[in-house]
Amino acid sequence: MMASSYNAKDEDGHITVSGPGGGTLRSKKPENTAFKQQRLPAWQPILTAGTVLPAFFIIGLIFIPIGIGLYVTSNNIKEFEIDYTGVDMSSPCFNCSQNFSWNSTRPCTCTIPFYLDQPYENNVFMYYGLSNFYQNHRRYVKSRDDSQLNGDLESLMKPSKECEPYAYHENKPIAPCGAIANSMFNGEPVSCCAHQTHSSFHLYLICLFTSLADTLELFYNDPNGTKIQIPMTATGIAWWTDKHVKFRNPTDNANLTAVFQGTTKPVNWRRPVYELDTDPQNNGFINEDFIVWMRTAALPTFRKLYRIIPKKNSMVPTLLRGNYTLEVVYNYPVRSFEGRKRMILSTISWMGGKNPFLGIAYITVGSVCFFLGVVLLIIHHKYGNRNNSADIAN
Amino acid sequence: ACLGLADIKIWVLTGDKLETAMNIGYSCNMLRDDMNEVFVISGHTLLEVQQQLRSAKEHILGLSRVSSAGDVEKTDMFAEDSVFEETIIAEYALVINGHSLAHALEPQLEHTLLDLACLCKTVICCRVTPMQKAQVVELVKRHKRAVTLAIGDGANDVSMIKTAHIGVGISGQEGMQAALASDYSFAQFRYLQRLLLVHGRWSYFRMCNFLCYFFYKNFAFTLVHFWYGFFCGFSAQTVYDQWFITLFNIVYTSLPVLAMGLFDQDVNDQNSLRYPSLYKPGQQNLLFNKRQFFMCTLQGMGTSFLLFFIPYGAFSVTVKEDGSNFSDQQAFAVTIATSLVIVASVQIGLETHYWTAVNHLFIWGSLTVYFAILFAMQSNGMFGIFPSNFPFIGTARNCLSEKSVWLVILLTTVVCVVPGLAVSFLRVDLFPTLTDKVRHLQQTTKRQGPQEQNLRRVRRTSSRRSAYAFSHQQGYGELITSGKNMRTSTVSSARSPQRTPHSSNWIENMLKRKNEVSCISV
Repeated sequence: MMASSYNAKDEDGHITVSGPGGGTLRSKKPENTAFKQQRLPAWQPILTAGTVLPAFFIIGLIFIPIGIGLYVTSNNIKEFEIDYTGVDMSSPCFNCSQNFSWNSTRPCTCTIPFYLDQPYENNVFMYYGLSNFYQNHRRYVKSRDDSQLNGDLESLMKPSKECEPYAYHENKPIAPCGAIANSMFNGEPVSCCAHQTHSSFHLYLICLFTSLADTLELFYNDPNGTKIQIPMTATGIAWWTDKHVKFRNPTDNANLTAVFQGTTKPVNWRRPVYELDTDPQNNGFINEDFIVWMRTAALPTFRKLYRIIPKKNSMVPTLLRGNYTLEVVYNYPVRSFEGRKRMILSTISWMGGKNPFLGIAYITVGSVCFFLGVVLLIIHHKYGNRNNSADIAN
Repeated sequence: ACLGLADIKIWVLTGDKLETAMNIGYSCNMLRDDMNEVFVISGHTLLEVQQQLRSAKEHILGLSRVSSAGDVEKTDMFAEDSVFEETIIAEYALVINGHSLAHALEPQLEHTLLDLACLCKTVICCRVTPMQKAQVVELVKRHKRAVTLAIGDGANDVSMIKTAHIGVGISGQEGMQAALASDYSFAQFRYLQRLLLVHGRWSYFRMCNFLCYFFYKNFAFTLVHFWYGFFCGFSAQTVYDQWFITLFNIVYTSLPVLAMGLFDQDVNDQNSLRYPSLYKPGQQNLLFNKRQFFMCTLQGMGTSFLLFFIPYGAFSVTVKEDGSNFSDQQAFAVTIATSLVIVASVQIGLETHYWTAVNHLFIWGSLTVYFAILFAMQSNGMFGIFPSNFPFIGTARNCLSEKSVWLVILLTTVVCVVPGLAVSFLRVDLFPTLTDKVRHLQQTTKRQGPQEQNLRRVRRTSSRRSAYAFSHQQGYGELITSGKNMRTSTVSSARSPQRTPHSSNWIENMLKRKNEVSCISV
């Protein structure tokens, strides 16, 4: 005779409660599903010699050819670089770099001759390079207004606070605002006036970021003495998404002067933004030089595309072997912050420009992996096989 | 016995009489005939108890081959306890009754009691009041660097359950009080073995793996900014997109870790039960200690170094296929971010030992979600709605369509993962732990096909004890014989000697009477 309220417990711990009505069964046992009982079917890999060592060898065997291919391709790219900062006394631009004064209105030109010892085929790209120029400084990177550059009329008149102190000048909004725009490299030559009214940090920014405004032109010296200017295109140098989506003029490109009424140009610019180019497709905010400059570089030493020298036809190389002259309209020197300016001419391949790093890295990593595989194989052979399950203490 | 192999010490605290408790001990095989000595402490005064304790201790220590390093009475000897325990080859048991325990728990004697108890293989306390149960637990907690677990099924075990680090309640027979007060509750005592050896071990293993990976991933993610500081004038410019920083820990890498923390198993449950010494790494804190943490951190730092400098080397002079420049902040950011997510996913893939469908879903799903969100956030549409918040427009498309970028990502992934892989392989190959061996065994048996696994039943020959409990009171004899609170299948072992093939059954039957059997595991 059992008491009626006695909770019987059967063998596997299943507690059943029989209520007064009799028959209602409530089980507290957890469900016996695979998910809840942690019995899900699974793949259980373990690291054995049979899986790891072939992996190392395969990685080595894949990477070494890739590395060789990259290195060979990189070696076949032709590149030529001139530093025209004018540090040495013997450099043609030395006088320009020395004679700078803030208030000079007459631009300084210097001419640098050089010799190309190989002909350059296909499209040749001309880059300007800067060193020790921190386009990736945080204050600098934030100092822009993307709404304004996208053509938003409201932002045109009221630039965002991020652009301070380059947002307003003489009570007028600056278009385009910000320090990045203000320090554009490749505009027209300009005289820089130092605005010393701000704090020392801003002074540093201004001195660092004032316009450089160089212009570069290339001439070929014919064997019989004539100087031929090499034609260069200034379009097609920016990313398509930048030119067509990110940067837009406030209205259509026809009458930009009227649209930008009420704004003023950035302090260090000579011309306002709507006079950057005569081509209406390359004027205003969608000017490609401007777009290229606004895409801030990641590292303090960088190069940006300046012009493209289009190929003539498949017979004649674009740039023949021979003597060339580079004419620089030199403006504010970078010497005050130990910077350098360079001009680079380069051809292109499927992996981009000349960059031996990637090829060498792949070859190194591939060989290290292969060598490691060999070493591990030897070690495993001599000392391994300790995973014998017979010696598990039961 | 299984738990004993796992280095877990079991103490029994019961309210029974001495003789009953000893019988229970013999039937559970905790006390054995071949033990060197069973010390019974049953003094009535403090001095008697003290003398008995001391003599027992001297008996043990005098006979063992221990080069005593100092006075055994010193209280700072606790760290050397394990040394003493290991070198004592003989087996001793201690049985102490509640009255003596009350004296022994006094401040002067408690250290002696603890020393003696730890020198013995088995400790049985009988006639223990609930308060004393809690006191014994607390004694062990305070002075030994051990985790205590208390298991009981009655209301008088509640204080003990609450005092111990882990309290386990048996629900059912004597009501729900013990179960309600406990951290874990189940229905039968024998589930304790599974709780500890299977779930407890898995839980420790998962937690350590999870922690290690979490620190590694976050160090790899954050220290990239440290390296970048050298190149951006220390102006705290972030390498990544703002949205990537927000979503990295929430979306891109959270679910795979969660799946690993929930489902990972290094050894399956049958083998966990079969090889109880797999439990030892948990006790010795082997899987996550200062050294492991340091190694995780180092690995994270190394990964961040490679994650930054390989793209740095590649990007310093790189241009796109059409010549337009490419070494800008945003493309750099996207490259490093993509490499980071891929490296983190590959790393968690290598650390997961048990790939269920959920793991697959989470790992591949996270990668897919990353790319989906990347392209969505850098698309024209999002930029059109919020121009200032999504300045990375077009970057993903331009960047990830370049072959050189994918080559950089592949190189970075391989270089980050290969050293860790080589080191783990060497460790498993040259110095395999018990876990590795069991996993290897598991895999070979699975490959050989599912066979009949005959569990070797260890036939324990329990000594045939004729157990007669002599009571000086009338006791519950009438109640028992009337069968009112007894099921028909119960055999009361106090009446006749019984030989059971399976001792866990025996224990269950014992429980159905009014005894409480409480265990403390050390």
